[in-house]
Amino acid sequence: MLVYTVRRVLGAIPVLFLASVLTFVLIDVSGDPLSDLRMQQPPPDPSVIELQEERLYLDRSMPERYWLWMTGIGGNGDIGLLQGEFGPSTQSATYDIGENIAERLGVTLRLVTAAMVFALGLAVLSGVISAMRQYSKLDYTLTFVGFLALAMPTFWFAGIMQQAGVGFNELVGSQVFATIGDGTYQAQGLDAWGRFTNALAYMTLPTIVLMLTSFAAWSRYQRTSMLEVLNSDYVRLARAKGLPNRVVIRRHALRTALIPLTTVVAVGMAGIIDGTVLTERVFQWRGLGEFFIAAVEANDSFALMAWLMLSGTAVIVANLIADLLYGVLDPRIRFE
Amino acid sequence: MHKRRKLLALGAAGASAMMVLTACSGGGGEETEGEREVTWVINSIPAAWASISSAGGSVYTIQTLSGVLPYTGQWQPDGTYEYNMDVLAEEPTLINDDLDEGPFQYSFTLADDAVWSDGEPMTGEDIRVSVMMSASPDAGYCTTCDSRGGTTADMVEEMEVDGKTITFTLKEGLADAEWMSQVDAHSTGGGFYPAHLAEENGWDVDDPDELGEYFTWLHETRPEWSGGPYMITDGDLENQVVKEPNPEWWGEAPQLDRIIMPFNTDESTFVNAINNGEIDGANPAQYSGDVMQELEGLPQVTLSVGEGNIWEHVDLNLENEWLEDTELRRAIFTAIDRDDIANRNFGAGYPEYELKNNHIFGNDSPHFTDVISDSGQGSGDTDAAIEILEEAGYELDGDTLMLDGEQVGPLRLRATDTQTRSTSLQLIQAHLAEIGIEAEIEVIDDLGGVLAEQDYDIIQFGWSGTPYFTTSPEQYWHSESGSNFGKLSNEEIDELVEAVGGASSQEEAAEYANEAASLVVDEAYVLPIMHEPNYFFVNDRVANIEDNLQSSYRATYNIGEWALAE
Repeated sequence: MLVYTVRRVLGAIPVLFLASVLTFVLIDVSGDPLSDLRMQQPPPDPSVIELQEERLYLDRSMPERYWLWMTGIGGNGDIGLLQGEFGPSTQSATYDIGENIAERLGVTLRLVTAAMVFALGLAVLSGVISAMRQYSKLDYTLTFVGFLALAMPTFWFAGIMQQAGVGFNELVGSQVFATIGDGTYQAQGLDAWGRFTNALAYMTLPTIVLMLTSFAAWSRYQRTSMLEVLNSDYVRLARAKGLPNRVVIRRHALRTALIPLTTVVAVGMAGIIDGTVLTERVFQWRGLGEFFIAAVEANDSFALMAWLMLSGTAVIVANLIADLLYGVLDPRIRFE
Repeated sequence: MHKRRKLLALGAAGASAMMVLTACSGGGGEETEGEREVTWVINSIPAAWASISSAGGSVYTIQTLSGVLPYTGQWQPDGTYEYNMDVLAEEPTLINDDLDEGPFQYSFTLADDAVWSDGEPMTGEDIRVSVMMSASPDAGYCTTCDSRGGTTADMVEEMEVDGKTITFTLKEGLADAEWMSQVDAHSTGGGFYPAHLAEENGWDVDDPDELGEYFTWLHETRPEWSGGPYMITDGDLENQVVKEPNPEWWGEAPQLDRIIMPFNTDESTFVNAINNGEIDGANPAQYSGDVMQELEGLPQVTLSVGEGNIWEHVDLNLENEWLEDTELRRAIFTAIDRDDIANRNFGAGYPEYELKNNHIFGNDSPHFTDVISDSGQGSGDTDAAIEILEEAGYELDGDTLMLDGEQVGPLRLRATDTQTRSTSLQLIQAHLAEIGIEAEIEVIDDLGGVLAEQDYDIIQFGWSGTPYFTTSPEQYWHSESGSNFGKLSNEEIDELVEAVGGASSQEEAAEYANEAASLVVDEAYVLPIMHEPNYFFVNDRVANIEDNLQSSYRATYNIGEWALAE
């Protein structure tokens, strides 16, 4: 497995390299990072623009800038991915891209982890129940809910959830749910229980929104997978041998039915990180999604590159984990 | 039976959890009993802790520093100018404005009891260092300060500091009709910064490299200092800042115990948040009819809307082969119906809108003169436009305007993709079709690049204006100006706009500016439409608060006076 893993990691390097070249070129031709500065009132002195061009390496050619971004050789010590520097930001001279990503990663992971856990738990439960009660009213209801969730635009659903939260608060006469922010500042000085309820108040609504799409897709996978397993010979044999239904489902059918879902979930995790872009915006969480939007708005090419490389790496790592887990869950698969 | 018991247990657990949550609210915006707290939204993320630089120079940074930065005066909501007599010992003195008698000179003297939050007295040195950091790199004070301003600071030849007093001497031959703006609320820095902290950190402010280090430090470091009624006690540049009263503040004591300023970039969240008690108000930089409509329906909220400082205008590229002809340009501007554009964009949310009839001065300015109405430009008078064209030798062949047997245009009509501008472009396209001109709409995402490369025939964009005006005419219309994107070239206008910058009084400068604006109308170069409205909303629990559309500080301009309603 170690050799397989190393081989996959090495294989990912050229993929990431090509992706980085492509995205760098696309970002570079997409606009002038200093357009806002040039439009300022009164217009800045030309020497100020020159200073910014120099700081952002805009006085170099595109290939040279890519080389600098990748290696840092010839730069001012603030650039070079291989040296752990993501480059200067257009957002301000003091904006540290690496530091920001590190801070925001924690915020996003908090949201993503909660959404993943709930989405997965509910998807497995719903998928299994749907499969076991195929074509029943319950199955139709869960199917309807799943498709509804799949069809619902995130920003719209987020707005609905915020309104529902406010409505609930008004109903009970207390601020149970918060609609904006991640609650970090409000948690200061609270005891453990206070921090827990504070986190719950701030996390509930965005978590529901973020988990919805994943839950919908995963529950459909789980239902299909479970149906396939329930109709297989070994499950029929287990039943014929007189094993209780609960044991057949839990010990035999469910484990096998989880295998395809594992792949989908691992890959979907990277998708959830991308999905935070809208959710974080609506709920005003300063996570990686908000980082991405801010970078786009500021035409911040190096910050965008950092986000895209992180996102790309997450997809590759998630795929690798999926493949490894697949082998762990299904002993018939060997890593060669 | 067994199943039912399980369901009941589950329901009971859920209900208990809800009751616990209901009792132990974790939501934001709640205040400790007896504390007077206001939560005021800043509509974007400030990029830095100081506003002198190009990157930090946004209204969001300015508002983040409200109540912290001291300044010498500011324009009030009603358009009058007031000196800050908490900070100043007396009104600033104009020592000499007659250039025949010597250089232009003026001075500021700070109040005796004006101190920073660490107890250090404010002195002329604070102003000197702030002006040095605000000047362009070419001024030689600082090697790495990327000031966003420089215009006023660059005029300075010498600054003489005598304790609380600083005297400015301008370079030979230069006058500044707006000299009082040097370190006021509208200046490059939004006020002035402490000088003694540079020394405390070991930097010599007279060394250009070390002043640059201090400049960077101010931008990177959350201010633990204050020269105003509040000081920042918590927060960061990503989420929010928390302000509490400055214990060393010598003026009237602020009435709030805490002001929390969260950075909220999504206006669509405002309605829910104010309903939920998470925020008390905001003064967004963008107009949003939908949000305003929702806010209007909230009984506990006061909403106001007025002319903001960004004004929309249509510009022509005078180097286009067709638009070189002044008569064609006049006909185009006459055919465009400004009222139609303004009404469709803002009529529903702001029916009191007024069209902008002077490029430099707002309709309520004492210097305002209507330079547009008599020209008929922007009136949408198709018949008058066709008459202009026919007199100039153009003719309509069916629906197509022709000159010497050749079709005029098509012309490229461009703007960035905002809702307002999209609507506007479609209307202009229709107005021009009425006089036989085909206009092709092309949306852009790089306004700066398009303008710099003159990659348009007709373009709509916005300029931001302030009550200060003396640098604008030269910037807009001088043939040598980098911001004269459509390449207007008129010697008479050049002379007038130079005279605006060199005038020693505002009245004299305004006279030249109005003359120049009239000539620009004759040239049919820029057609002002209107100031984009800005809105402000506040929960009725907050008192002594109003929007100030003259200032980047907006509603926070009098933050020291905010209180809770009785």
